[in-house]
Amino acid sequence: MSPFVLDRPAVLERLGDDEDIMFMMLGMCCDDVENNCRELSEALVAADLEGLRRAAHTVKGTLASVSDDDGAALAFALEKQARAGELAGAEALLLALQARLRHVAGVLASVLASR
Amino acid sequence: MDQVLIIDDSQINLTLIRALIIKQGGCEPIVFDRPLNALEWCRQHVPDLVIVDYMMPDMDGLSFIAAFRALHGRTEIPVLMITANDQKDVRYQALRGGANDFLTKPIDKFEFGARVGNMLALRAGQKYLANRAAELEEKVQERTQAIRDRERELIFRISRAAEFRDPETGAHIQRMAYYSEIIAQGLDLDEVSRRLLLEAAPMHDVGKIGIPDLILLKPGRLSPEEFEVMKRHAVLGYELLKDSGSGIMQAGAEIALSHHEKYDGSGYPKGLKGQQIPLFGRIVAVADVFDALTSSRPYKRAWTVEEACKMLEDGRGTHFDPLCVEAFFAGWDQVLEIKQRFRDEEIPEL
Repeated sequence: MSPFVLDRPAVLERLGDDEDIMFMMLGMCCDDVENNCRELSEALVAADLEGLRRAAHTVKGTLASVSDDDGAALAFALEKQARAGELAGAEALLLALQARLRHVAGVLASVLASR
Repeated sequence: MDQVLIIDDSQINLTLIRALIIKQGGCEPIVFDRPLNALEWCRQHVPDLVIVDYMMPDMDGLSFIAAFRALHGRTEIPVLMITANDQKDVRYQALRGGANDFLTKPIDKFEFGARVGNMLALRAGQKYLANRAAELEEKVQERTQAIRDRERELIFRISRAAEFRDPETGAHIQRMAYYSEIIAQGLDLDEVSRRLLLEAAPMHDVGKIGIPDLILLKPGRLSPEEFEVMKRHAVLGYELLKDSGSGIMQAGAEIALSHHEKYDGSGYPKGLKGQQIPLFGRIVAVADVFDALTSSRPYKRAWTVEEACKMLEDGRGTHFDPLCVEAFFAGWDQVLEIKQRFRDEEIPEL
C-alpha cells in the first residue's frame, strides 16, 4: 500500500473549492482517528460482527472523504469480512487499517499545521 | 426558510452536510446523530427535505424512512439517502421504501448542491400546489356561498310575488316557515333537513300566482267550481319549481304539491294517505293551518290560539299527522315566541 499523500485538488474540487469546509473536515478526521481505532478493537474483541461492520463502514467513509482510496479499500475489505461473519484474518486487516488511519491522521495533521 | 433535516451518526458527515446546507442558502439545517431522536422531532415538525444516512446504530436509514413515511402528512416530503457506491442493493430497497434520490459518499459538493436543489424545488412545487388548492377551495366556498345567498334571495322574491296577489302577508310566510322548523326539530330531523325545510316552506303557495284574481281575492266563500280552480295552486306550484337544479326549489315543489293533502286521504290534489304524504308536506300542513287560523284577514277575524289548538287536536289522524301535531305542541314556547316576533301589520276588521 502506497503512503498517503493528500490529493488536495481532488478533495477541494469535491467540496466546491471551499477551503474552510476542507480544513474543518480534515480537522474532524484527525480528531476522530483514535475513536475509530478504539471502536474497531472493541468490536473485534467482543466478536461483535455488526459493530465491526459498522465501525469499518464509518472508517471507509472517513478515508474516502480525504480521497484515500487505498485506505478506504482496506476498510471495505474488513467491512465485507464482518458482513460475511468471518473473523479469521480479521485481526490482521484491523491492525493494518488502524495503522493506515494513524498514518493518514499524521499526514493531515501536517497539512493542518502548515495552513 | 426551508428546514433540512440531517440524520447521520458520523459527526464528520453531519458537520460537512450542515456546512454545505448553510452554503446552499435559504435553508436551515436541523441535525441529529440518532435517528430515533430525529423521528421524535418529526412528530412535531414537518421538514422540507430529509437527508438520512443508511448505516446507523439503533435504526438504519431504510427503517427511518419507513417510520417517517408512516407519520401523518409526511408521504410527499422529499428524502435523500446517503449511501456508498457499493451499496446498490440498499439503493434499490430505499427506492422501494420511499427515498426520492441518493447522495454518494464521499460527498461531492456539486452533486450535493444539484440534488438538494432538485429536492427543494420539488418541495416548493408541492407547497405551491397545496397553497393553490387551499386558495381554490376558499374561492369555491365563497362562490358557493354567493350562489346560496342568491338562491335564498330568489326564493324569498318568488314567495313574495305570490304574496302580492294574496291577502296573506309576508309575516305569514316567515311564521309558517319557523313553525315548520319547530315541528322538524320535535321530530328529530337533522340540521340539514331542518334548514332545507325552513328555506323551502315559504314557497308552499307559490302556485297561487296562476289563480285568477276573481277567485284568489274573493272575500266570500268560494263556490265548489271556484274551489276546484283554487285547488290547482298546489299542482301549479309544483310545476313551477319541480325541474329546478336547486335542492331547495325541489323541496319547495314537493311542499307545494303536498301541503293540502290530509292524513286520512281526503286532501288534494292526489288524495294521499298517511305516510304516502311526503314528510315536509305533513309538517307544513300543520304550520300553515295554525298560522292561517290565528291570523286576521280582510274577510275573517283571527281565531284565538285556544280555538286553533283545538282544531289541530281535533284534526289529529284525520287532517294532520299525529306526530307532527305532537311535535308542534312540544315546541309550544317557541311557537309563541315566533308568533310574537313576526306580527302582521294591523288589518282593519270588516
